[in-house]
Amino acid sequence: MNRQLLVPVHRTLPWGAVGAAGGAGLLLAALTRTGETGERLSLPLLRAAVLAFALGLVFLLDDPARHTTATVPTPRPVRVALRTALVVPAAAAWWTVALLLVPPDVRPPVGDLTLEAGAAFVLAVTAAAAVVRFTEVTRPGLPVAGGLLTTAVLALLLWPERWALFVAVEDKRWAAAHDRWAVLLAAAALAGMLCTREPLRRGAWRPAR
Amino acid sequence: MTAVAQKPMVAETRTEPGGSWAAVWALALFESRRLLTRVPVLLAFALYLGWTVWRGDKAWGDFPALQDADRATQGTPLLVGLAVLLSVNHAALRSHRHGTDAHFAVLVLPPWRRTAAHALSALAAALVTAVCVAVQFGREALRPGAVGHGSVAELLVGPLTVLLFGLLGLLVAGLVRSALVAPLLIVFCLFLFVASTGTGDGGTQWLMPVVGEASTNTLPTDLIGRPAASHALYLTGLALSLGLLALLVTGGRKPVLLAALAGALALTTVGATGQSGGVSPALAKARERASVHPEQVQTCVRRDGSTYCAYPEWEPRVAEWARVVAGVRSLAGGAAHERPVVVRQRVDARYGLSGDAALESLKRPYEVTVGTQWGGNRVPEFSAAVAAVLIAGDEETATSICDGRIVPVMWLAVGWESEPLDALRRVRLNDTITGSDSVLQPTNGLFMTEAQTQVLRDLLDLPRGEATARVKAHWAELTAPGVTAAGAAKLLGLPAPEGEDKCL
Amino acid sequence: MTPTVSASGIGLRYGGTRALDDVSLRLTGGVTGLLGPNGAGKTTLLRVLATALPADQGAFTVLGHDPSTARGRQEVRRRLGYLPQTPGFHPDFTAFEFVDYVAILKEMTDRGVRHREVRRVLDEVGLADVRGKRMRKLSGGMRQRVALAAALVGDPGFLVLDEPTVGLDPEQRMRFRELIAGAGEGRTVLLSTHQTEDVAMLCHRVLVMAGGRIRFDGTPAELTARAAGRVWSSTERDPGARAGWRTGTGSFRNVGDPPDGADLLEPTLEDGYLLTLDGAGAEVAA
Repeated sequence: MNRQLLVPVHRTLPWGAVGAAGGAGLLLAALTRTGETGERLSLPLLRAAVLAFALGLVFLLDDPARHTTATVPTPRPVRVALRTALVVPAAAAWWTVALLLVPPDVRPPVGDLTLEAGAAFVLAVTAAAAVVRFTEVTRPGLPVAGGLLTTAVLALLLWPERWALFVAVEDKRWAAAHDRWAVLLAAAALAGMLCTREPLRRGAWRPAR
Repeated sequence: MTAVAQKPMVAETRTEPGGSWAAVWALALFESRRLLTRVPVLLAFALYLGWTVWRGDKAWGDFPALQDADRATQGTPLLVGLAVLLSVNHAALRSHRHGTDAHFAVLVLPPWRRTAAHALSALAAALVTAVCVAVQFGREALRPGAVGHGSVAELLVGPLTVLLFGLLGLLVAGLVRSALVAPLLIVFCLFLFVASTGTGDGGTQWLMPVVGEASTNTLPTDLIGRPAASHALYLTGLALSLGLLALLVTGGRKPVLLAALAGALALTTVGATGQSGGVSPALAKARERASVHPEQVQTCVRRDGSTYCAYPEWEPRVAEWARVVAGVRSLAGGAAHERPVVVRQRVDARYGLSGDAALESLKRPYEVTVGTQWGGNRVPEFSAAVAAVLIAGDEETATSICDGRIVPVMWLAVGWESEPLDALRRVRLNDTITGSDSVLQPTNGLFMTEAQTQVLRDLLDLPRGEATARVKAHWAELTAPGVTAAGAAKLLGLPAPEGEDKCL
Repeated sequence: MTPTVSASGIGLRYGGTRALDDVSLRLTGGVTGLLGPNGAGKTTLLRVLATALPADQGAFTVLGHDPSTARGRQEVRRRLGYLPQTPGFHPDFTAFEFVDYVAILKEMTDRGVRHREVRRVLDEVGLADVRGKRMRKLSGGMRQRVALAAALVGDPGFLVLDEPTVGLDPEQRMRFRELIAGAGEGRTVLLSTHQTEDVAMLCHRVLVMAGGRIRFDGTPAELTARAAGRVWSSTERDPGARAGWRTGTGSFRNVGDPPDGADLLEPTLEDGYLLTLDGAGAEVAA
């Protein structure tokens, strides 16, 4: 059954938003090839690219037919998982291209940065899932994009130094920061999974299988 | 057809005072109120105000130089600008997003005038920013120790940035009817800010809305040489161009608009050309003169026998310097107690604000350097320089003191303060009060060994009158070259220091 | 008397289909109903008359102005109230803000006067209590009433309402009829609907559209009269009827050409409408 769902779900995905955001992100990543300044800034450029792509991913759970499909037998977690599963290869491909756009000699540690990107992407989808879980809106994308952007700016400005996340490669806190990123990724993934349940009032929820 | 009570339907036109522009104004008020209550804008203003208040007291303390304080108002409005960009963009796309296009298309006010109202709402946000900037700058200007002159053009940059970003958001809404574009644009802008900080390469950096400076040097107003007026003109022209383009994109087709756009583009070009001029020969000459021969541009006043020479804008600060000199001399013994000094204000303005060149020590006897900044650590630093010159005779010799004379020097430097230990901590490079550390001065610094620090601490632990008497009693021996820390301790009747006593 | 709308030979093509085909009509005061099946061109006609869509052919004036000129269009819009089929709403506006916003776009510039007017129309549609509530918190019927208030604001001389009673419960529909009837006193209202009861109860005149043309123009009584002698009752389904259904009483109600001696029933407006459409269908097919 789920295989038959793949095509319709694929057609409901916001590929336009994801594509636009991905294009903007790749443009940012490509700026690392624009000479000495670009190379020096490869890490902030890649982070900006990740943020741009994450802004596209918040539209993943936009579903105008949400209230129509609320009562279908295929449980919401399965449908959300399908949407996510469809976008994961695209995200992976995008990230590979973004990394390849950065000249190899100035490329920041790939593994650690992939962790940052993963955390950002999962956070974006989780935020959208949370809005779907706790409100009635059918298109959480745009408000969540605003929220994600605001959060990113605030985090950049106000995140306490003790738990620094946005550190430079040569910074000695790099390893510790990426432990924090891993925690963030795990927490976001967990919260995201909890938020995919069909919202029902007053504990009326029972396993739908 | 049935006869129904019918009133003749004559085509009467509802007359409203002021016509279309009055409606634009009414809509502008509506949109401004909405814009200024959007969550991102409120958040940005809260952050802006919080940041300003929190940092306001730390920046220059009670002694701001207004030619620096004006530039300090420029950075934070960028944040407001980004929030306004996002919110104006979303407001302009509101009808499109919520499907009221069909309904509102038949309403009287033409779309381009609705765009004009949105542009005015961005202006409202800029005005609120201007009020914030005025309060921020006014607070600095009203401090009793404020010197110098602010520049209106520099103060305008913050509000103009907000306007510029708002109109950019509006234009983008007219070009691309998708709400995703504004967030992506903001990511680009954010990145540009990160990238542009600390990289200044001549004319092109002035194309950015806010141009920071690498140095924290404070220069006399006429030597700063920032093309602030041209830059404000450039920003105004750019903002106007974006706004007029937005009007044209949304259907404004009046020749007046096109003419205004041409004017705005011309304004932008004039501004951009004006700001890319670089340093003029006259300015370079004036900088050279003020740096190498400050006496040619300074006026001197005498207080208590000492002479104070300051750049014209700093004359109100002479009283502060005289207070420090009096404090230092009051603790000195022998001839130093009465010795007049020449306090010479100096700054190296030759590289403008792009470099922090260290000042060379003066060679003339009893002449001591004071910088252009004051308050905080600058006070004990100047105090230490005065003390060292009183003891060593001239600044060059003073900055190479490497023996026990450091003890009386530092005693003079901090002993008169109400919190000597606090002054000591502030004057030392690493904020220490034990062990060895460097002592900062307006020109070259000194080095205190561990032993010297220990003797000084013991001296400071005595009651002030007792300590002053002991220092004055042995003034000649204490200030003789070659004295050691242990020797000084013995002369002062203090326990012999145990620490290292070897300068670098 | 100057008619509110005077149109002759309006035509409009969407690609290959004729959405409007040689439509001529004159509208004066009171409520006029516009009936027709889906795709008949009702919404297109309303949008053309509301200046939301330019016509390809024909000439018409609204309130004495020619909407094909920019100036005339502006003058029409100053005196026009329009409620589109799907009005849309701004979820984070309050009801008051939404109507106020529309009033500003109608160039009502005096703030005090405008706010009084907005309060008046919100009272009129019975939403005085929820004035300060955000649109997203309102029910569908309330939102529809806010949209009607937005159409009514500024006392327009010509009101164009595109299926305003869709999605309302019977009580709300009743309330709406009251409102529209009130609005029709002293101004011209053109009301498009699928509900024949709305027309029967509200309109002094009814237009029936099909295939982009006007098939009937007259009073509701005249439309009902078209079915006189063509509605009958029978115990079995009559194969000769154009339409027939078993009613609650168990007998069949048939519309069409009755056999001789049939037990004739009193026709309704709906019967007249169905028979008009039926004739129109035949005509179109011919």
